Amino acid sequence: MSRFFRSSDTESESSSSEDDIVTKVPVVSRAFQFSDDEEEAKRVVRSAKDKRYDELKNIIKQLKNHKKIKDMSNVLSDFEDLGKAFEKARKVVDKEGIPRFYVRCLVELEDFVNECWEDREGRKQMSKNNSKGLGALRQKLRKYLRDFEKQVQDYRENPMEGDDDDEEEKEEDEAGAGSDSDSDDDVGPTTFLKKAEPKESKTDAAGSDDDDSSISWGSDSTVSSESEEEGEAREYDASMFLKKQPGEASKKDAIKKQPRQDKKKKLRTDRDVDDDEGEWTQVTTGAPMTEKPKMFAKDTEVNHEAVTKKLNEIVSARGKKGTDRSEQISLLQELLSISNTNNLGPATATKIMFNIMAAIFDYNPNIATCMRSDMWDICISSLTQLIDLLIEHKDITASEHILEDNEQIEASPYRVRGCILAVTERTTEEFTKMLQACDAHSTEYVDRLKDEKPISATIVKLQKYMEGRATTEEMCRIYLKRIEYLYYKVRSSDRLSIPLKSESSEEIMEHLCKFIYTKDSSDRLRTRAMLCHIYHHAMHDRWYQARDLMLMSHLQDNIQHSDVPTQILYNRTMVQLGLCAFRQGMIKDAHNALVDIQSGGRAKELLAQGLLLQRQHERTPEQEKIEKRRLLPYHMHINLELLECVYLVSAMLIEIPYMAAHEMDARRRMISKNFHHVLRMSERQTLTGPPESMREHVVAASKAMKTGDWRACKTFIVNEKMNAKVWDLFHQADVVRDMIASKIQEESLRTYLFTYSSVYDSLCLNTLADMFELKKAVVHSIISKMIINEELMASLDEPTQTVAMHRTEPSRLQSLALQLAEKVSQLVDNNERIMEIKQGNLFYQKNQQGGYQQNQQQWGRRNQRQNRQY
Amino acid sequence: MASSRRSMDSVQSVQIDGLVVLKIIKHCQEEGSGGTDLVQGVLLGLVVESKLEITNCFSFPRHNDDDEFDEVQYQMEMMRNLRRVNIDHLHVGWYQSTVFGSFINKALLESQFQYQHSIEESVVLIYDPLRSTQGFLSLKAYRLTKLMMEFYKDGEFSPEAIKSSNISFESMFEEIPVVIKNSHLINTLLCEMSEMSKEKPDYNCLDLGTSAMLEKGLRQLMSCVDDTASEANKFLSYLRQYQKQQMNKSQHSQKRQAENAQRVQRGENPLPEEDLNKIFKPLQQPSRLDSLLLAGQIDNYCGQVTDFVSQSFGKLLMSEGLQDDSQKPQ
Repeated sequence: MSRFFRSSDTESESSSSEDDIVTKVPVVSRAFQFSDDEEEAKRVVRSAKDKRYDELKNIIKQLKNHKKIKDMSNVLSDFEDLGKAFEKARKVVDKEGIPRFYVRCLVELEDFVNECWEDREGRKQMSKNNSKGLGALRQKLRKYLRDFEKQVQDYRENPMEGDDDDEEEKEEDEAGAGSDSDSDDDVGPTTFLKKAEPKESKTDAAGSDDDDSSISWGSDSTVSSESEEEGEAREYDASMFLKKQPGEASKKDAIKKQPRQDKKKKLRTDRDVDDDEGEWTQVTTGAPMTEKPKMFAKDTEVNHEAVTKKLNEIVSARGKKGTDRSEQISLLQELLSISNTNNLGPATATKIMFNIMAAIFDYNPNIATCMRSDMWDICISSLTQLIDLLIEHKDITASEHILEDNEQIEASPYRVRGCILAVTERTTEEFTKMLQACDAHSTEYVDRLKDEKPISATIVKLQKYMEGRATTEEMCRIYLKRIEYLYYKVRSSDRLSIPLKSESSEEIMEHLCKFIYTKDSSDRLRTRAMLCHIYHHAMHDRWYQARDLMLMSHLQDNIQHSDVPTQILYNRTMVQLGLCAFRQGMIKDAHNALVDIQSGGRAKELLAQGLLLQRQHERTPEQEKIEKRRLLPYHMHINLELLECVYLVSAMLIEIPYMAAHEMDARRRMISKNFHHVLRMSERQTLTGPPESMREHVVAASKAMKTGDWRACKTFIVNEKMNAKVWDLFHQADVVRDMIASKIQEESLRTYLFTYSSVYDSLCLNTLADMFELKKAVVHSIISKMIINEELMASLDEPTQTVAMHRTEPSRLQSLALQLAEKVSQLVDNNERIMEIKQGNLFYQKNQQGGYQQNQQQWGRRNQRQNRQY
Repeated sequence: MASSRRSMDSVQSVQIDGLVVLKIIKHCQEEGSGGTDLVQGVLLGLVVESKLEITNCFSFPRHNDDDEFDEVQYQMEMMRNLRRVNIDHLHVGWYQSTVFGSFINKALLESQFQYQHSIEESVVLIYDPLRSTQGFLSLKAYRLTKLMMEFYKDGEFSPEAIKSSNISFESMFEEIPVVIKNSHLINTLLCEMSEMSKEKPDYNCLDLGTSAMLEKGLRQLMSCVDDTASEANKFLSYLRQYQKQQMNKSQHSQKRQAENAQRVQRGENPLPEEDLNKIFKPLQQPSRLDSLLLAGQIDNYCGQVTDFVSQSFGKLLMSEGLQDDSQKPQ
């Protein structure tokens, strides 16, 4: 299985890289990869001139091959490439003059084209693409040759002359030539590019390969791969499905269509041309690197100075356009091995390692995407190496404050520029990105997650290393990193039984956080540490510590001023706090902690566990990217269904008795809007079947509870389905279930009393205890509490163990009448206001208002009296 | 015939045949699904001196809205048929069932207006099946007052119109006393039947299950009061706006006057008079018909509740008396 996945992984990666290639710089990177391998085998120093000429020659060779099979479209493309290559070689050409072979090639091409053009029969038989290509080629060539008239003439006059002719007088013309050819060629390339004939070109390429000697393969393939690339990109172009009709018709078609298409595609062509140019400039600037395969000449002495110089040389290429980044890494690694073999001391190694890390981080040009897995492996291993190295050699001081000039790498005490902390932080960020990038349910994720251990270990190591030698600020940073890798992990229960060898996570957290609390100067680190600390407490059921810390910190007041990741952490902490309260049976606290997260229905977004679809306003792509970057890796997620279920159950336990108590109250408020929403949704259904989802279970339980049927309520909340869905996710599931059951019994009793107290004159405590399977003492205490809170108008009769109802609650009719009275008084108010306007204010105020007010007061008093009576 | 063409004032009471009552009850029972749906029908009869005699009726068949059904055609056809069998065929009004007396609304007003407009003496019989099942035959005859007829004919329900026509919720509808008349034959039959049945005194009628009815009544009253309050609110906001506009208007005209005075002093022509209504568009006056109707409805509910309560009190006292009575011998 894993094997299968792994293979698929590599596949997907390669395909993605291919995508990149197609969209951005088709040829270059592939060519580089190729040359990369080549480099391993042999490194030859060649002069710029040689290189340019080789390039030209390669293209010419290609051109010749295409000429042989009369593949006009490819010939055309070769010709264009040639023009560009020549343009690039301009520098050399300026110095050396136009190479003879180039002129020869041009002349031959001209001859070839003319020959083809003359051959009308042949032209008729040509495919549409080819004939088009031929036309374009002919026009272009003519234009292009105008700049080379003299050379061509010379060549035609004596073709046998040597290659190295100096014809300086022509240089200036040539300078213009290249650009002209590029800018004037708008029309030509279009037709070609769009109408590239994939099938034939492929076979052609193959054919040419056969013809070529094996030595030229490498260089050849770069070009042929390009043509293939283009073939690939347009392989399924409409042209492929068109029937190729030889003869008159196709020719006419071609002629007719050509101008129109040209116009249409003019824009695109321009872009294509630009792209092509981009490619090519990259090739030339990138080339020097590839041409520098050898580190040092054989006889040079490898010492600190030389290595530093070399290092600077390599590093200076960093960030430049076209620098091959993977190449750089391997170069640095080689340099490292050289320095090691020459015993240049640990400081040099450290310095190079820092640079390797930097190069690795540079490897990926896009910040949003993660690095490749092989790159990641290198990254993590080099990081551990680096830290090991630093730990091993205590005399190395690595700091970002040491300037390059002040470095001391030759003798102890060493001083090296570089910040190991920053590198580690960057690595952890990279790790998060890696996790974000892969599917959370795949084995890939698990594989990635395995790296979490070495990273944590590395952080611990680094922390030990830095203790005593770093500034407090840095210490805070590394401590926070440590905390961030620790806070969400639960102490596994089996470790509880084993006597602990190392200190428990609690102690570690305590230690780290306290350090940060006292030493940290920036508010952010302290806030984060505090939140992590609370989170950790809550995870481990230390409710009171967690709550006290939360309350003492006053985080709730000012969290909205902090940055988004901290707010997310705050949300997570609140959720964890709520869950903790729920486990401890603190239903109200659980509800209060969760209500903010749950009320908007955006829990997923608030916890950064996924993006929600927004209906009102579309996110801009940048926004989406930013939000995606914030998402937490899957292993840190809090189960949302658990969260919702805990919230709903707590809401049910609070809301149902409340609803029963205030059934008649017109102005009763909702405690939990979300819960009411869920209830309403279920009421709207025409047919309620047996509950399926978690929500339906809670709704069904609520309905059972309304009638005081605690048994049904309990079976709805605690059953196999709900266990599998929710409750088993708690780490002490049975305790939680027992807690829920007892809470349900108590709240059902309360609900029952509220709902049916008006029916009874007196109630026996024993009967109640039996009905709700509670201890008599519990029933007694609940009823006492209700009486004290004036929720239940009754008194306890101790000798007979009964509750005697006082019947002071207004009956339904009475409360309705009260409501009506209220409404009528409202209406009266309204009417009085109308009166005010009608009467005119002055008159009214003087004469009437007093009377009305008195009236009103009397009204109010009467109402109050009525209320009191009830 | 001639007598029937006298003015509607002459109709002092309504006399209904037993047949009509039974027919209406039957109609409600069969088609009104126990009183929750409204049923309607046509009353037939004639005016004799100051008495409107309703001697027969027929029901409108139920039909869905999408069905093509010509009511007028149906009525004409029905009356023609009745004429053939020599039954009174003069159209004298219509009947409607109601739920808890919630019948005072625009629809009823509209149709009763139409009736009275074409047939002067026509009335509407309101039958409450729910109350009837509780032992009180609730059959009431209503018609629009003259005032209301004129008011509604004008079709303007602004506050001023109400004021000028001097109409209030009490003077919209007037109730006409209803007499149910049976033929002597039936009376004798009933007498005979009552003699035949030798049952013990039935105390079922002393049932005190009053709270449900009262609650219903209260709830309806509440919703009505709510509506009235919102109507009042609308009116209030209108009044405020109106005031504001008036103020603006007067300010504007003052300003204009001052400007004109200046102009006259300077010897220029005064600015032409502008139509103030153009600058300040007259506000839409809120229709007060709704609140009138609502007030009528509330009045009706209150009457119902009072009726019910007084009956209940009667029952209470009676049952008390009975209890005392039954305890004495023991």
